Amino acid sequence: MGISRRLFLALAAASPLSAHSWAADWAAIEAEARGQTVYFNAWAGSETINAYIAWAGQQVAQRFGITLRHVKIADTAEVVRRVRDEVKAGKLEGSVDLVWINGENFRAMKADRLLFGPFTETLPNYRYVDTDGKPTTLFDFAEGVEGLESPWGMAQLTFFGDGAKIAAPPGSMVEFADFAKANPGRVTYPAPPDFHGTTFLKQVLVETVADPTILSVAVGKDQFMAVAQPMLALLDRLHPYLWREGRQFPQSQAQTKQMLADGELLVALTFNPNEPANLVASGELPSSTIAWQHRNGTIGNTHFVAIPINARARAAAQVVANFLLSPEAQARKADLRVWGDPTVLAISKLAPGDAKLFAASAVQGGVSLPALAIPEPHASFVPLIEAAWLDRYGA
Amino acid sequence: MELILEQVTISLGTQVLIQPFSFAIAAGETVTVMGPSGSGKSSLLAFIAGDLPSLLQGQGRVSLGGRDLGPLPPEARRVGRLFQDDLLFPHLTVGENLLFGMARGNSEERDARMRDALCSAELAGFEARAPHTLSGGQRTRVALFRALLASPHAMLLDEPFARLDADLRNSMRSFVFGHLKERRIPSLLVTHDLADAPAGGRVFTIGSGGKVAHD
Amino acid sequence: MRFGVAQSFGIGLVAFLWGLPLAASLAAFAATALDFAAWNSLLHHPQLPEALPLSLWTGTAGLAAALAAALLVTMGFYGTAHWQKLQTSTAVGLSIPHLAFAIGFGFLVMPSGFLARLFVGGSEPPQWVTAQDPLGLALIACLALKETPFLIAMIWSVLAQGDVGPALAGHWRSARSLGHGAGSVWLRVLLPQIVARLRWPIAIVWVYGVTVVDMALVIGPTQPPTLAVIVWADLNNAAEDINARGSAGAMLMTLALAAAAALAWLAVSLAGKKMRRFMTGGPSSFGVPKTSTTLLTAAMIAIYSLVLFTLSGMSLAGYWPYPRLVPDTVRFAAWQGLIANGGPVVLSLMLALTSSALALGLVVLWLEAVPARWDRALTISAVASLTLPAIAMASGQYRFFLELHLTGTQLGLFLAHFIPVFAYVFIVLKGPFRTFDPRFQAVAHGLNAGALRFWVSVKAPLLKAAIAIAAAVGFSVSMVQFVPAQLIAAGRFSTLPMEAVTLASGGSRSLTAAYALALAVLPMFAFLLAQMLGHSRWRLAWN
Repeated sequence: MGISRRLFLALAAASPLSAHSWAADWAAIEAEARGQTVYFNAWAGSETINAYIAWAGQQVAQRFGITLRHVKIADTAEVVRRVRDEVKAGKLEGSVDLVWINGENFRAMKADRLLFGPFTETLPNYRYVDTDGKPTTLFDFAEGVEGLESPWGMAQLTFFGDGAKIAAPPGSMVEFADFAKANPGRVTYPAPPDFHGTTFLKQVLVETVADPTILSVAVGKDQFMAVAQPMLALLDRLHPYLWREGRQFPQSQAQTKQMLADGELLVALTFNPNEPANLVASGELPSSTIAWQHRNGTIGNTHFVAIPINARARAAAQVVANFLLSPEAQARKADLRVWGDPTVLAISKLAPGDAKLFAASAVQGGVSLPALAIPEPHASFVPLIEAAWLDRYGA
Repeated sequence: MELILEQVTISLGTQVLIQPFSFAIAAGETVTVMGPSGSGKSSLLAFIAGDLPSLLQGQGRVSLGGRDLGPLPPEARRVGRLFQDDLLFPHLTVGENLLFGMARGNSEERDARMRDALCSAELAGFEARAPHTLSGGQRTRVALFRALLASPHAMLLDEPFARLDADLRNSMRSFVFGHLKERRIPSLLVTHDLADAPAGGRVFTIGSGGKVAHD
Repeated sequence: MRFGVAQSFGIGLVAFLWGLPLAASLAAFAATALDFAAWNSLLHHPQLPEALPLSLWTGTAGLAAALAAALLVTMGFYGTAHWQKLQTSTAVGLSIPHLAFAIGFGFLVMPSGFLARLFVGGSEPPQWVTAQDPLGLALIACLALKETPFLIAMIWSVLAQGDVGPALAGHWRSARSLGHGAGSVWLRVLLPQIVARLRWPIAIVWVYGVTVVDMALVIGPTQPPTLAVIVWADLNNAAEDINARGSAGAMLMTLALAAAAALAWLAVSLAGKKMRRFMTGGPSSFGVPKTSTTLLTAAMIAIYSLVLFTLSGMSLAGYWPYPRLVPDTVRFAAWQGLIANGGPVVLSLMLALTSSALALGLVVLWLEAVPARWDRALTISAVASLTLPAIAMASGQYRFFLELHLTGTQLGLFLAHFIPVFAYVFIVLKGPFRTFDPRFQAVAHGLNAGALRFWVSVKAPLLKAAIAIAAAVGFSVSMVQFVPAQLIAAGRFSTLPMEAVTLASGGSRSLTAAYALALAVLPMFAFLLAQMLGHSRWRLAWN
């Protein structure tokens, strides 16, 4: 699997950069980028995200003469497939210049050598990234990033619901199961392979596994089944009290969000801890909405942007990635009135003027007690979890 | 003018439907050709008109007023058609149907000729009517005049009275043949009912094997 | 031969622009689907034993319900004053895209939906299992409701054919004179003849129902979903072996459909004898069930109106919890977002206009220049292209276009839309054109009118209803193309349906509803326009 060695060398040779670049090279990249068009393949299910990307497009047009086109994607796996098909067909000038990516999709592209780079060390704004405080910027689902993708924002599994209807939000998976029992048919999670659903299951695994160290290494099926027994036991206990008795599941996080707004569910989940506040601000959820994370932490990760190896506008893609890392762009992204996606930068590394942009404020629907961000288990767990779930609960 | 057929034969692949035959139709004369269904009567008419279906092959010379019709496209042959069904154009009024084949010219003159035709057909005032509101006999009259107003030099009649009831048939026959004779148009009538043939007119029969014989 | 040149030209153009890409796509699909490992993986898929029968069940039940409803409506209303008015409703019904309808219908019937709020109330939604129910009843209802107007339109097209109208009038009179009640005449004499001419539309509706992806995603069962949903997910998966499994799945669906069709044909032939006995068993005074037909039609119109109304409400709603009948907050952000993002709308419009125009031109050229004996080959190809699951065709087409570097190009995108449009336009126009009384042309020859004058003054006006409907159908088919467009656009372009599906995944219901309404409005205009243009002041004689 993967592209032929010859083709890979041809593509690599076509790259104007070597592994180590100097500051003078960046000016050359910016110059080359002028006039190029970047096709940014990014998930587009949210108006706020689309609006932010549109703003970024205006900025890079004004400042760098780059045309940014937001290619709306429903599922990043589709982009991976497309890039792979194009490279296989020998298409040296691909349709994707920049892709919003993380996790298994990143791992797949990295394994098949479909990514351009390493390039992140050459981005001037990369020095502000909080690699110490946010280790998931270096290890994506326990897979080394190795400069092949540039961090963009932080994500953490967060629950939310109507505070008027929920007296005590569950602080752990065990309490979640009890909550479901007390409110039968009013709680559920999206079915895997939707990544929110998979993450919910990963959260169960993380909370129930006997020895957490096993989660950071690759595992085989037998090993997995041995450690996953407590997870399956909890799910068995939970399912009879789920919506439709656990026989049917919503197909996406978006659906759970909608069902919460309709009143059919009491709890929904999200990866963006600020999304509930965002929804309250836009009038899609009532002001009594509350958001919470589990006491001992919920799974968190970083999401990135990456450049495929056959990207046409490589230089411009790098300039855009760099812009997205700039304090100004990150601050605007973290602003609840705009998107609310947490920043990857370390405030301490910023100049005082830039640091001020990130003033925090308490808002309706914000997480009142942020908890620890637990790193993702190794990417090899994902297909095993999904297969086990499908086997046990899928039909 | 005369309509002359010389050594005309119609075949379907290797099967000969009509053996080579010749005859001439004088001006104002109506000749009847009879034969059972499937004997190729309608194909003969189609050959003369110039729109024989491509599956059939026709040979022989057809001339009208001395002019060889062979190289001419169907619409240029000046050969009028009448069928079992009136085939009036349903989307046009009676008047528009009548005007359809008339030569181009002054619109007042054309309208006048159209109204004259309606009078002759005893359908004065019907010009704005839709064809489907007329009775069978009325429609046949309109169909005849529509054909006549195109100033044909010959007429081909494919069992035009078959769908009319007995009383109507007689009056229609005399009506049609009368007008054709008056205008001295050579006509070929095809039918399976001998009663259709004009009194005293020549009758040919297509026998077995496609031999055309004069009765 | 007079039209030798035109004939070669016609055949050549159709073969090159339509036949060649089609054949190549099928070849590419077959190549990817014949992979032993993929089939092995597919046959071991844990959800397969339930998903496949589920697909067949939902598609077949949907077709049966739609056909029964369409025939009932025809029986009840044909020949009455309401028949013309019904055409307008049919036009509206036809134009709402399946996806949009499913979204709106889902909101009507789901436990926290509009119907529950209207009739049940309370503080918490009832624990109904309606939308996405395991038996697929919601999907079947949606399919039936959406396909009934299509079948009615097809029946209308059959009845408008040159030889059918007068023949039916004749049959009607003779059967009545033999003592049959109106309903009995329909059942025993007229409907069998009509249904016999509807073979292809029925086949297309059936295959669509069994293989539909977007509707099933929104309102179909989930654990397990229909096989079509599983196959689409596989084809879009990042892993190559899963992609191959998807191709194998698409082929399995095709084979299953073929087997089912063969069985159905067998059943009908065997039942033929019984049916003849029924038909000739003697007169019955069974009348037309006017009340049930009227109720049925009224119910369908009510549901469609409710769906449209619900979609409008959804597009403007902010927070709209159970059991409110009116949203708590109203926001225009969805419509503002749509207007600001006008590109996809314009692109979809342009693609629809150009593909239907070219298709019309090419189909008319074929029907005029090429003798009828060539029709069979083209009909089989056209129907095959429409009865193969769209995802099967599209995956092959994508591979083929990728080789030709046509993915991500305007030409590629145009071809992807043109191919299904041509097939539909041909199928709609073939009947009316071929059954056009050839003697009209002979009459015109006798009236000194050449081919062009005949076409312009006689044939086209008499066929304008059929041509208008064909144009509208082509336009709408193009507007709603999703699966092939998504693959061929390869991230460079976005059409209206692509936007809608992408947004539906994000769950912004208001935005999805706004796009769904936008998607419906354009084809609606097309059909209404076709209605007006195709309306004839002459009517076929009836009773």
